[in-house]
Amino acid sequence: MSAAVGSGPSVGPVDSAATGAPVTVAPAQRTVNRPLALWLGLLGLGLLIGLGAWAYQLSQGLEVTNMRNPMMWGLYITLFMYFVGLSAGGLIVASAGRLFGAGGLKPIVRLAVLEATVAVLLAAIFVLPDIGRPDRAWHLFRYPNFHSPMMWDITIIVVYLLISLTYTWIYARADLARRGSWLALGTKASEAAQKRDERLKLVLAGVGLPAAILLHSITAWIFGLQISRGFWYTALMAPLFIASALVSGTGLMIILALIARRTRRVAFRDTLIAYMGKLLAIFVAVEAFLVFSEMLTAAYPGAGFEGDPVARLLTGRYAGFFWFEVGAGLIIPFALLVVPRLRRNLRWVAVASVLAMVGIFVHRLNIVINGLSFATVPYPPGVPVGTVQPVGTDSFALSLFYYPSWVEWLVALGVLCFGAIVFTVAAWRLPLREAVHG
Amino acid sequence: MPDKVSPIEALSPASRSYGEIGPVSAEPRWAMVVDQERCVGCWSCCVICKSENDVPLGMWWNRIDTVGDALDTPYREQGELAMHWLPLACQHCENPACTRVCPVGATYSREDGLVMQDSGRCIGCRYCLVACPYGVRVFNWGRPERPTEFHTGMVEPRPLGTMEKCTFCVHRLPDGQVPSCVWSCPGQARIFGDLNDPQSRVSRLVRERGGYQLLEERGTDPRVFYLPPRRKRGLEP
Repeated sequence: MSAAVGSGPSVGPVDSAATGAPVTVAPAQRTVNRPLALWLGLLGLGLLIGLGAWAYQLSQGLEVTNMRNPMMWGLYITLFMYFVGLSAGGLIVASAGRLFGAGGLKPIVRLAVLEATVAVLLAAIFVLPDIGRPDRAWHLFRYPNFHSPMMWDITIIVVYLLISLTYTWIYARADLARRGSWLALGTKASEAAQKRDERLKLVLAGVGLPAAILLHSITAWIFGLQISRGFWYTALMAPLFIASALVSGTGLMIILALIARRTRRVAFRDTLIAYMGKLLAIFVAVEAFLVFSEMLTAAYPGAGFEGDPVARLLTGRYAGFFWFEVGAGLIIPFALLVVPRLRRNLRWVAVASVLAMVGIFVHRLNIVINGLSFATVPYPPGVPVGTVQPVGTDSFALSLFYYPSWVEWLVALGVLCFGAIVFTVAAWRLPLREAVHG
Repeated sequence: MPDKVSPIEALSPASRSYGEIGPVSAEPRWAMVVDQERCVGCWSCCVICKSENDVPLGMWWNRIDTVGDALDTPYREQGELAMHWLPLACQHCENPACTRVCPVGATYSREDGLVMQDSGRCIGCRYCLVACPYGVRVFNWGRPERPTEFHTGMVEPRPLGTMEKCTFCVHRLPDGQVPSCVWSCPGQARIFGDLNDPQSRVSRLVRERGGYQLLEERGTDPRVFYLPPRRKRGLEP
C-alpha cells in the first residue's frame, strides 16, 4: 500500500494515457508476475491463520473471544458494519455519479462496483464467526422473523449482493466476450450490445443507489431502534451511517484507484483523483456535522439517560478514541482536502483518505463499544460477569471493559485476507477502467 | 425431563402445599412480586435457580443487585444510611424488546405471558442480549462447567453457543407449584401468581403496596413488580 501512496502525480504511462480523449481499455493482465504471486501467497497465509483461529473458536466456543454478557458484541460486528459501509459508500458515489450525470466519475465506476461487491461479501462473512452457532445459519432462511432489523439486514444483504454481482458482470461482459471468456455467458460484443449495456448500466445505477442507501440504513437500524441503549436510540443513526459510509467508501476508492494506477497502469487521471478528494472533503464535513449535532443533543441536558455514554466519550474512558476520531479522522483529512494546493498533490489525498478510513473505523468502534458499555439497570452488577475491571478498592464494584482477544484479531485478519484475495484476482482478471467515449 | 423423577412428587405434603400457586383464573397471566422490604440479599433464590435449571458455573439467570453504588453496601438517603437489594431475573415483559429482534424467532411470548427461549433454534447472534434493557439474558460462551459430575437440573441443559434465561420455572407450573426462587426465599420476599385474578395475592399486593416496574418508562411492561420498602431499613436508630 505504501508503494501506491508514494506514487506521485506524474507516473509516465498514466499521464500519456490521461491526455488522449478516447481512451482504450487496457488489456487485462494475463501472467502472474512475481510481486503478485508474493502478495497472493502472503494473503493465503493470512487466510490460513484466520481459518485456524476460527476452527479454534468453534471448538472452544465464543469464550475465547473477549466478548461476554455485558459486552456481547465486539470486533466482528464492528467490522461487519464497517464493510457494509465500505460497500454502500462506494456504490452510492458511483451510482449517483452515473445517474445525475457527474460524468467525471464515470471512469471509476467499475472499480467502485468491484469494491462494493467484495466489501458486502466480507460483511456477510463477518456474521459467521460472530454467531454462536454458525452451523445453524440456515435457520435464518428457514425461520425468518421479519420483526427483527437483523432479518431486514440479511434480506437486503442478499438482494444487494445479487445486484452488485450483476452490476460487476454487466460492466465486464463486453470485454469478457471480446476476450472469449466463458464468463461472458454467451454475450456478443457488438455495437448494438454496447448500446443496450449503456442503457442497462443506467438502470442498474437507478436500482443500485436506493439499494445501497437502504443497505446501510437498515444496518444502522439494527442499532438505532434499541430502547435499551440510550447512545444508539437516535433518529440520526441512519443518516450518520450513510455519511460514514460515504467517507470510508470514497476513501477506499481513492486508495484502490491509486494502487491500480501504480500496479496495473490503469489510466485514472490526476483530475479524477483530485475530484474524488474534493467529494471526500464534503463527506467528511457532513460526517463532522452529524457527529457534532448528535453529541451536542446528547450532552446538553447533562448527565442522564443519554448523558452517561457521552461523558465517557468526551472525557472518560473512551475519550482517546473519540478525540482521535475527531482529530485524525475528521479535522486533518478535511484540512488536507479542502486546500486546493494540497488536494492537487495526490500524496496528501492518499494520506487524507487513509486517515478518514481509520477515523470511521474508530467511530464505529465507539458506537458499538461505548454504546454497550453501560448498564441500563442503574445498580452495580451483583456478580462478576464479563471481562471485568475492578474500580477503586472495591473489588465487587465492577465495570465493563472490552478489548478484542488474539483469536478475534486473527479471525478478522483471515477474513480481510480472503477479501484481498478475491479483490486482487478480480482486479487482475477484469478490466478496471471504464472506457470514456467522446 | 423424561427420565427424571420430579422432586415435587418426593415432597412432604406440607412442603408441597407451601409451594402451591393457589387458585388461578381460567386464563392465567403469570406475574411475580418482589418485596424489597423483605429481601435481605441472601442469594438463596439465585443458588436454587442454578440447581433447579442446571445453570453452569459463571452463569446466573437470577442475581441480586444492591441499591446504591456498590454491592452489599448501604446507600445514603436524606442523610440516613439505608440498605436494600434488587433481585433481578427475566422480567417476562408484556412488550418484550428481545422477542421482536430475534431474527429466527427463537425467543417468543407464550399465551400466558411467559417469555420463552428455544435453545434448539437459537443461532447465537446475541441480538436479544443487546435489546434487553435488564441485562438478564445469559449466553453459553464456553463449554459448561458444573460443580457436580451429574446434572442437578430438572430441565434439559442448553447447548454451547446459544442463549438461555429465566423461564419462571415453566416446568413446575403444570404441577401447580411456584418457581423455585419463590419457594426457597427465606424471607418470603417473592410472591408468584395470576395477575388476571383480581383477588390473587400478586394482584392485591401490586394494588395496595404500589408495586412498580423496573424501567417503566421504556414501555416494556414487565410482569415482575417490585414493592418499595415502606420503612427504610436504616443502620441508625
